[in-house]
Amino acid sequence: MNESTLFAIAFFTYIGAAFFYFFYLFGKRENLAKMGYTLSILGLVIHTAALILRTIESGHAPFTNMYESLSFLAWSAILAYVIIEGKFKLRKAGPYFMLIVIGLMALASSPLMPANATPLVPALQSYWLWLHVSVTLLGEAFFAVAFVTSIMYLIADSREKRGTAKEGAISSEKLDSVSYRCVAIGFPLFTLGGLVFGMVWAYKAWGTYWSWDPKEVWSLITWFVFALYLHSRVVMGWKGRRSAIIAILGFLAALFTYFGVNYLLAGLHSYA
Amino acid sequence: MKFILNYFSSVKLAITLLIIITLASILGTLVPQHRTEAEYAMHYGQLAPLLIKLEVTDLYHSWWYMGLLFLFSLNTAVCTLTRFGPKWRKAFQPRVESEPSKIRTLKISGEMKLKAPLVQAAEKVAATLKSRHFRTRQATHEGRVSILAQKKIAGLFGSDIVHVGLLIILAGGIISGFSGMRRMLTIHEGRTLEVPEAGISLRLDKFQTDYYPSGAVKDWKSTLTVIEGEQEILTQTIEVNHPLSYQGFMFYQRNYGYDWQNPRFEILAQKKDDPDFGDQLNLGLGEKTLLSDGQTEVEAINFVPDFIIGEDGRVASRSNQPNNPAVLIEGRQQGERLFAAWVFSKFPDFGQMHSEKEHNFSFQFQNIESTEYSGIEMAKDPGVNFIWAGCILLTLGLFVAFFWPPSEIRVALEQAQERIQVTAGGIATKNKYAFQTEFDTILEDLRRDK
Repeated sequence: MNESTLFAIAFFTYIGAAFFYFFYLFGKRENLAKMGYTLSILGLVIHTAALILRTIESGHAPFTNMYESLSFLAWSAILAYVIIEGKFKLRKAGPYFMLIVIGLMALASSPLMPANATPLVPALQSYWLWLHVSVTLLGEAFFAVAFVTSIMYLIADSREKRGTAKEGAISSEKLDSVSYRCVAIGFPLFTLGGLVFGMVWAYKAWGTYWSWDPKEVWSLITWFVFALYLHSRVVMGWKGRRSAIIAILGFLAALFTYFGVNYLLAGLHSYA
Repeated sequence: MKFILNYFSSVKLAITLLIIITLASILGTLVPQHRTEAEYAMHYGQLAPLLIKLEVTDLYHSWWYMGLLFLFSLNTAVCTLTRFGPKWRKAFQPRVESEPSKIRTLKISGEMKLKAPLVQAAEKVAATLKSRHFRTRQATHEGRVSILAQKKIAGLFGSDIVHVGLLIILAGGIISGFSGMRRMLTIHEGRTLEVPEAGISLRLDKFQTDYYPSGAVKDWKSTLTVIEGEQEILTQTIEVNHPLSYQGFMFYQRNYGYDWQNPRFEILAQKKDDPDFGDQLNLGLGEKTLLSDGQTEVEAINFVPDFIIGEDGRVASRSNQPNNPAVLIEGRQQGERLFAAWVFSKFPDFGQMHSEKEHNFSFQFQNIESTEYSGIEMAKDPGVNFIWAGCILLTLGLFVAFFWPPSEIRVALEQAQERIQVTAGGIATKNKYAFQTEFDTILEDLRRDK
């Protein structure tokens, strides 16, 4: 059993989970959602095994090129979702969230992404690679859950206002609160992994903790957007629509930091 | 003064500044930074002088971006300070007495009747709250017992710790900007370089490049000895990600290079019509040697590490790296030129022979020896300790703010005919659902064993 086989099995398990979740959306049978949740956890376990195998095979952290880091992001996203769903019973978010995960997995397995494990260039040989990347991506995974629940909030809110909310739908109030909880977990993780660990590593490797490299600036922008989310919400009481829109923008900024910067802006972070 | 204080204590200002700083930061990633005026002129045409004048081309160090960060710091400081006093009193010197009518206006509240006498009832309520890890205070006023219970009260100060951390980071950034220094040092193996800024000399004992089996570079390592005066203080091997730190100065492995001043070439000379003929030559630039046929003299007259023929048709080196080393050798017989040839170490079959006369020689460029130098960046940054201190506070504060949610329960007990009227209410700014559950459980517990 090698890493790519396990990755493929995990991928199909996630697709299975998505199917059950979608049937649940129409069929409304509790068991379907439970099956979706069980398959998500099963996929997570298989995916974990794939990541461990990748680490053993390559001899380094499983997030040093685009394939690896997409796979790890998908793994973090499932982990975040399993935790949030376990805590808040947000089954109706399942199908939409699984779509994002499947998108990430599909992107990871696309031929555009170089999958071969290559030896690490000198700058990446550091345990800070583990700390910096894993904690950052885990934080971003919670932003991804907040992104989904925020979009669901906008829909639920407009339905409630028009009086077309379906019976059994998650209330907009709950979606708003879950979004906040996700940001409240994601923000400290992102700060620690993305900014603090990033600065420490940059100081060790480049001799300067901050160089205004585009990836650094974009992670700072992401941080500012979520700081705005928290302040406008906690201090000024902006809940609901405005809050949801800021959370959506924040996730898009995180996504751009992760993806867009690599392809659109040149800089020091030219590894992955 | 008061007006300024009020202005800067506003969260609205903080939000406005956050939005402006975010947009400005985005602009800085869209306009390439630190390019030449000509490049800007080409890209932005008429707009270029304006961009340069507004320092958009070095946005993050521009006076106006700095100014925004300064206003933001001031805003953060004033907001934190003006809110600190009331918060402190709320946490440590709170008003314990509460009116039942006020308690009922809290978002989470409940009422019940207990049978016990007033003092025992109050004891029971306090004990129940304590069993759930609340810190309680009691006050009796006009026949009414008020209980104030607080939990995880340190969580109130999470945001203050974050703000102080952030201010220390910004202060560290200013210190780095004003008193930080960086310089590239180039040291050859076996040589000593004076570093006057640090009052030391550095000797490069050994420079080594490690490779993966595939041939890709794994690491660069420099073994450095720090010398103060005549004394060797310490010897340490630095590599990428593992700098040497000495008295506030850091030495980073940055790059490496070759010194092509005195290369030596190992060349094998052969004759096409004589398989037994094979002369192993070892030449430096400008050195001549006589082949074993006793009449042919060979000289290495030119060398390039990365051979390329330029647009002008002349030989040049594409880079300083030995990507395609080539040596130009010339052969003479009786003072007359016989041939001149570029010989390539990576392409043994490819040679450019300019022969004046018929000859049978062929040459193989087998090896070059040259000294490598190590590129070491020296940096001193007194701001960096502030940065780490600030980072610790920032992280700690965030975890306190989000994972240590404070809550407060106020209870008033009054005699109402035979029984005790208990009014309870709670406040939690974060984690409301969990708090609601806890509050309900406490009331349930009290009701159960009346």
